[in-house]
Amino acid sequence: MRIIVIGMGPAGLSAALRAVEAGHDVRLISKGEGGFQLSQGTLDVLASLDGHQIDQPLVAIASLGPEHPYAGIGADRVREAVNWAAERIGPELLVGSAEHNLVLPTAVGAMRPTAFAQPSMVAAAATREYAVVGVRQLKDMPAELMAGNLGAESAWIDLPARAGEQDPTSLTYARALEDPEFADRFADAVAKAAPPGEVILLPGVLGTRPGTWRRIRDRIGREIAEVPLVPPSVPGIRLHDAMVAAIRAAHVKVVIGSRVVGFEADGDRLSGVRVGIAGRTRTFGADAVIHAPGGFSSGALDVDSYGRITERVFGLPLTADDATGLITPSWFDPQPLFEVGVRADVHGRAVNADNEPVFRNLYVAGDIIAGAQRWIEKSGEGTAIATALRAADGLAEGA
Amino acid sequence: MPTLRERLNNELDRVTLDHCVKCTLCEQNCPVAPVTDLFSGPKFVGPQGERFRNEFSVDHSIDYCSSCSTCTVVCPQGVNVAEINSIGRALMREETGIPLRDRLIVNTTMMGRMMTPVAPVANAVLNNKLARVAMEKVIGVHRAAAMPTARSQSFRSWWRKHTPAKPATRGPVVFFHGCAGGYFEVETAKQTVEVLEYIGYEVLVPKQSCCGLAAQSNGLFDQASASVRSLVDQLRSAGEDLLIISSAGSCGGMLRHEARKILGIDDPELADVGLRMRDISEFLMDLHMAGELPTDFAEIAMRVPYHQPCQVRSQGMGMPAADLMRLIPGLEVVESFATCCGIAGTYGLKKEKYEIGQLVGKDLFEMVEATNQGYAACDTETCRWQIEKSTKVTTVHPIFFIHKAYGLAR
Repeated sequence: MRIIVIGMGPAGLSAALRAVEAGHDVRLISKGEGGFQLSQGTLDVLASLDGHQIDQPLVAIASLGPEHPYAGIGADRVREAVNWAAERIGPELLVGSAEHNLVLPTAVGAMRPTAFAQPSMVAAAATREYAVVGVRQLKDMPAELMAGNLGAESAWIDLPARAGEQDPTSLTYARALEDPEFADRFADAVAKAAPPGEVILLPGVLGTRPGTWRRIRDRIGREIAEVPLVPPSVPGIRLHDAMVAAIRAAHVKVVIGSRVVGFEADGDRLSGVRVGIAGRTRTFGADAVIHAPGGFSSGALDVDSYGRITERVFGLPLTADDATGLITPSWFDPQPLFEVGVRADVHGRAVNADNEPVFRNLYVAGDIIAGAQRWIEKSGEGTAIATALRAADGLAEGA
Repeated sequence: MPTLRERLNNELDRVTLDHCVKCTLCEQNCPVAPVTDLFSGPKFVGPQGERFRNEFSVDHSIDYCSSCSTCTVVCPQGVNVAEINSIGRALMREETGIPLRDRLIVNTTMMGRMMTPVAPVANAVLNNKLARVAMEKVIGVHRAAAMPTARSQSFRSWWRKHTPAKPATRGPVVFFHGCAGGYFEVETAKQTVEVLEYIGYEVLVPKQSCCGLAAQSNGLFDQASASVRSLVDQLRSAGEDLLIISSAGSCGGMLRHEARKILGIDDPELADVGLRMRDISEFLMDLHMAGELPTDFAEIAMRVPYHQPCQVRSQGMGMPAADLMRLIPGLEVVESFATCCGIAGTYGLKKEKYEIGQLVGKDLFEMVEATNQGYAACDTETCRWQIEKSTKVTTVHPIFFIHKAYGLAR
């Protein structure tokens, strides 16, 4: 079948890869890049429920209500989905499991649980005796704050990645550390400065490629762990690059930089999507569409100045259409707005309030699906990947 | 006379600034920022710097933006980063003055007209080391930069004597070859015409001059606007409602969106041409998807590295050239997935930017060297010259392979 996947985050990339592996002719259309590169470079499955930290995500999934994105998928298929993704991304980049969460330090010294993390991070799960080393020129890891919250000692190294640059990003360091000579100087400076502690926590900038961190660890001669920073998130970029390499190798056709602006339908079936490209709007024909455009933060779900909530491409029915009262004043409070989204049936198709498919061949995946505040419960990648596989595996249903 | 700032119609671009959530995806994908600290990156000079650019330019590193458009393409929030930066650079250059070199190198049609009648002499001069050193010292074109090869026959002069091999069965299309296709990449233009005729189209070729893209990227907005308007009239003269098929990858993009988004030209005539413009590979793949492209391709047993230029990618068409070449039995297409080859029109020619351009293209050049079996493919003229000069691998437009596989090569 000719499949169109809309969106290039964890859900869109997973859906495209799964569909092309099943032998479909897949075209991925995305307004821009995004998703994985803005993440921590880990796979969250589920880590918090009703204010309690969760150790066993799959056990907790069984207790979720029917409105949750995992509902109807079930623990076994969630396990299968995240294992599939971790396998495609590869053990050089992801280790762990959905059975038990790893608990890892963040850049402000909080402890954050996640199911799969990068090999460069996981040494921090085995101990709480840390030494924190920051880089003076890199403002995104406040070593003293972090160490204070972790009850650890901290130290700084002073090592510009590029002479004369006042405000380097994480990526500037990650690129510089691909040069073995700079990596050695970096490692020597860390070795000299690091206070005592079982594991040295370092900014998550240890190379753009998987494995670069090992050279640095070996040169330092002590256990180290990368701590993910704010974007540009180097560990997130590694996951994105691995997934993009996989869809390219499978010859998924990618149209990037173009927004899907509408659709064409024949009765209860979509026949194609309309895409705004340079100079005009054109149609790409499709036998089925997997809509994985993200939620409110990507603009796929929109709130206008009157509080009206809409899904922008297909005008899909949502669990709520009025944002009044759903946005709370404090940044850190729950935001019920983010639970608003599209409902899906057991095959992943977008459905109306009567649980009937809006179109027989329109599937949804990822953040557009209603029922969870993913950053609070830490289920973003897991819900994205599990719903993406449900959609890709359900394609025959709409044929 | 109103200043450039007063004449610019860029409020719609500037409005998109407020969509920026500082996610840094543009910074991650910029090909220039990783290789030089002279460019502080698209987010810094764009959505951040633009807020301060009310009366005066605030950031001269914007001159090191290559205009590859990647930042706009990857932005998930719809910020017109590249357009904002192109306009900001034009304003900065108006204040600081535009070097003579940049006024000269944008006159591609004039270069073609002057060089074609004396092609052997022109090529000898451009390949002469002493002449190139002098050219670098006097006008600032780097001595090692790729230059076009002059041809002794222009496309126009071939076209005047050309008759189709068979009668048309599908109706007329307009062919747009661009100025490089008219004078330097004449074979690409001829091959495109022959392929279109082979599959049954009647090809119309109105007289055509430069699209003004090079002038635009050098900040010469008046010259660029005059050029693109004149070209629009020429292309429209061939007939209403006809598709316009382009073998000039980046020039097609100028007509489709850049003239509107960067120069601020809101003419309905430009919109009409943009609406009808198709890249040749895009056009042929659309035919294929509709089941209307003959696929009587002969086998070409070869592996070919293919690079999609930044300015073709930014047109939002996907990668039709790779899909098209894959229809040829035996032809193994390896996409470069490189962001940019480093030439970016005229950027990589300039004395002070040549080394940056070479670093931008380094991974691409290595990939071409490692995978080629005699040829590389790329949709845009200056990118082909850059790849060929930097790798010594013959670099052709993808239509070369389609033309050959249809048995049209002489």
